[in-house]
Amino acid sequence: MLDPTAASPPEPEREPDPQPPAASDDALIEADLLVEDVSIDGMCGVY
Amino acid sequence: MATAFDPGRAWALDPQVALRSERFGALAYHFGTRRLSFLKSQKLATVVRSLADQPSGHDACLAAGVAEHEMAAYERALATLATSGMIAERPSA
Repeated sequence: MLDPTAASPPEPEREPDPQPPAASDDALIEADLLVEDVSIDGMCGVY
Repeated sequence: MATAFDPGRAWALDPQVALRSERFGALAYHFGTRRLSFLKSQKLATVVRSLADQPSGHDACLAAGVAEHEMAAYERALATLATSGMIAERPSA
């Protein structure tokens, strides 16, 4: 028996969309989290 | 070069920084230091974009609609961006 989903084309790969966890502005202000720094040094091997 | 943030002085996005709009606010990438900063509110992104057009960091916050009770947090956020070199002091007009 044929599986109808087997012929479906694979989902195209998408560029990862950087999304930090959602939070309200008030919560971010309260916790002083309006800015978050990240260094990408050393991540070359990931790609 | 990173400098201490004084909200009374004039600031601008560092020329080596690209700012990309995101749903959560904006993502800043510094091509010199290869650092990323998540600006996690739309209002902060507006502040940072308007820095170059305002006479001071404080004025940029006011123009973006930062309320008085939020001011200290936004100035600390700008201080963090100044420390990481994302924004730089510019000569006053």
